[in-house]
Amino acid sequence: MTVIDPAAPVAPTGMSARMPVLGGANVPAVRFTGDAGAYWRLLIRGAMRLAITLGIYRFWLATDIRRYLWSHTEVRGDSLEYTGTATELLIGFLIAIAVIIPINLAFFVAALSLGSFGEAVSVLAFPLLAFLGQYAVYRARRYRLTRTVLRGVRFYQDGSAWHYAVCAVFWWMMIALTVGLAYPFAKSRLERFKMRHTHYGTLPGRFEGSGVRLLLRGLPMWILTVGPLLFAAVFAIVTVDWTLMVEAVMREGGDFASRIESVAPGFYAAIVVAIVAAIVSVAMAVVLFPVFQAMVMRWWISGLRFGELSVRSHLRTGQIYGAYARFLLYGLLFLIGALVLAAAGAAALYLFAGSLSQSELTEIVWAGAGILFYVIVMLGFSTIYQATVKLSLWRYGAESCELQGLAALDQVKAAGAPSSAVGEGLADALNVGGF
Amino acid sequence: MASGAGIFFDGMTSTRHDVAVEAAPDALRVRSADGTLLAEWPYAELRAGSAPGGVLRLIRNGNPVLARLEVRDPELIAAIDHLADTLDQSGRTERRNRKKVVAWSFAATVSLVLVAIFGVPALVERLAPLIPMSVEHRLGLAVEAQVRAMLDTGDRGGQPFECGLADAEKPGRAALDKIISLLEGTAGLPIPLKVVAVRRTEANAIALPGGHIYVFQGLIAKAETADELAGVIAHEIGHVAHRDGTRSVLQAAGLSFLFGMLLGDFTGGGLVVIAAKTVVESAYAREVEAGADLYGVHLVSKAGGDGRALGSMLERIAGTIEPGIKILLDHPQTQQRIAAINAAAGPPQGKALLEPAEWAALKRICG
Ligand SMILES: [Zn+2]
Repeated sequence: MTVIDPAAPVAPTGMSARMPVLGGANVPAVRFTGDAGAYWRLLIRGAMRLAITLGIYRFWLATDIRRYLWSHTEVRGDSLEYTGTATELLIGFLIAIAVIIPINLAFFVAALSLGSFGEAVSVLAFPLLAFLGQYAVYRARRYRLTRTVLRGVRFYQDGSAWHYAVCAVFWWMMIALTVGLAYPFAKSRLERFKMRHTHYGTLPGRFEGSGVRLLLRGLPMWILTVGPLLFAAVFAIVTVDWTLMVEAVMREGGDFASRIESVAPGFYAAIVVAIVAAIVSVAMAVVLFPVFQAMVMRWWISGLRFGELSVRSHLRTGQIYGAYARFLLYGLLFLIGALVLAAAGAAALYLFAGSLSQSELTEIVWAGAGILFYVIVMLGFSTIYQATVKLSLWRYGAESCELQGLAALDQVKAAGAPSSAVGEGLADALNVGGF
Repeated sequence: MASGAGIFFDGMTSTRHDVAVEAAPDALRVRSADGTLLAEWPYAELRAGSAPGGVLRLIRNGNPVLARLEVRDPELIAAIDHLADTLDQSGRTERRNRKKVVAWSFAATVSLVLVAIFGVPALVERLAPLIPMSVEHRLGLAVEAQVRAMLDTGDRGGQPFECGLADAEKPGRAALDKIISLLEGTAGLPIPLKVVAVRRTEANAIALPGGHIYVFQGLIAKAETADELAGVIAHEIGHVAHRDGTRSVLQAAGLSFLFGMLLGDFTGGGLVVIAAKTVVESAYAREVEAGADLYGVHLVSKAGGDGRALGSMLERIAGTIEPGIKILLDHPQTQQRIAAINAAAGPPQGKALLEPAEWAALKRICG
């Protein structure tokens, strides 16, 4: 038996970065140790299995992805551990469909019984599903947190998912009503709710990001993207006489265009302005999206607190641009490759199908080939997105963290219990991902 | 006996314990720096948690707390792996389990696809007759509102969507009503028909659940005789009599449910879902169309018209049909259908269903 000298460094040779010196500002407190190649392999193998199982494999792939990301993320030398299993996700999904099938059936039947009841139900269906979706998002977060273990202590989340869903639906409506201006406040309120109910063992979490600060930082971007649309709307209201316009539209007979031209000469100018504004707005949104994403992420990470532990993020916008650039490049290469293969496949199929006498069989073969192509392309893009954008967000987000008050992590007592995966299942069935 | 350094978390607090790990033959022992025994884990209860490469993260099964022992010394890892049979360091067990998962999921997929192709139509076949007419009527109203919104693109230069409303179009409407009452009287359907001519340029007609039939302006323009138009309407009446609209709604619901369940997409809006549904539906739409053809031919003949007219109408519009909207001419094998129609139709009776003046009025039903 080897007797360990208490004075000797514990870290074995070759693991020099294992124990960063406390207070040493140069050693990153959070590290990502994964390598892109292994992650690509994991994703590609998963995508192939997804294809042949028509998606059933997604529970296993999601678990593999989380295990990989968690275990390759180190906080001060100790890696996170994801303890969830694919079976839990599968069971959560089965429970979720048991809940959703009756709801969907009820909507279907109610929509058939016309009249005011049917109308009321179809009007209610969307908010109800949105509400259920937000409920699922909160429950799914609870599942993931209680399956996250660091240094033998798990994270957990309490708080009512119904309460969260009410708040979330309210804030999303506010965002819609204010054309996005309420987003910073919604984000800070909802994050506050989530983090207030988040714990690492006995260490309570909280969120200190300020909505006003996010608004001030994001305002220039909001003006650049939403501004052109508002300008076009104001321009249309000012230049076109709408009362005359409505009359002209209501009046029967004559050429529609000339009728409008006669009462509202500014109408076509307004349409041109609206089209230009829409183009500018979309272009701005595309160009600025990485900036926006980096800004929100920096703000979000910098607002996280666990007891005395505080985080600051130094995420660089260029890193996010780089991730999207790689996504576009790989996506383009993949698409070219897929099209070349598809053309070759189509030529082969054409020769083969030409020998088939039954036209209906040919039709089915072509349709099947079309579906196959579509599935391959969609899976390919999703894989490339996961391996470039998603991985970069995780890696750069983690590596950008500067932690203050790390000592708070040393004496945390274990608390909390694992929760069920129903939320994950609901989120899956309702198509509301979210992290 | 192999031994070495490790890091131990007792699961009670987050404190990191630098420990000495002894891989003794009977159990794995964890001692603190001062020699205190912190944990003694039997090999049979060991499991490896997910960890980065080069790290063995040991967990004791059934432990009420999340105690973890991390070992990084490759020799010590090999020694522990050798002693603990349950430990799957090579990943062989995991790979075998995963293969099983993939194989059974694949089998489930195949069986669900087979259910979609054979099971759903068979089920719908049994279910459709059980649906009361009152439900079909409501279904028809709901579907009609949607179909009308889809077809009525609004670009008609101020004219209403429905033909036969203006005074000049009334005689055309009367002629259409004559054909319909003739056919309806002969058919003896359980629900009343609601046939309208609408302003759409395609040579087409659709039957919805609940006895709604839309005859497109383009079809009336293409028809050369009243019997040809009657043939198409009789084909659509065939769909009504066979309750094909209700069936297709049931089928669509069943298929989006099946594929939606697999793909985790319950709204059924996913492109794969739609594409898969289209393939499966078009595979059995053929039989449905053949059934409606046969019904239409017999109905027109019984009403005193020429059953073959449906065939000549099909032949004329076959080349011009636009893909996209599914209806009368869903499929390419027009020649087969025409042959079947001609075989089923008796000899022409030589008596037109409408007087020439009535037919001329009907041709002008949309102005
Ligand atoms: Zn038909």
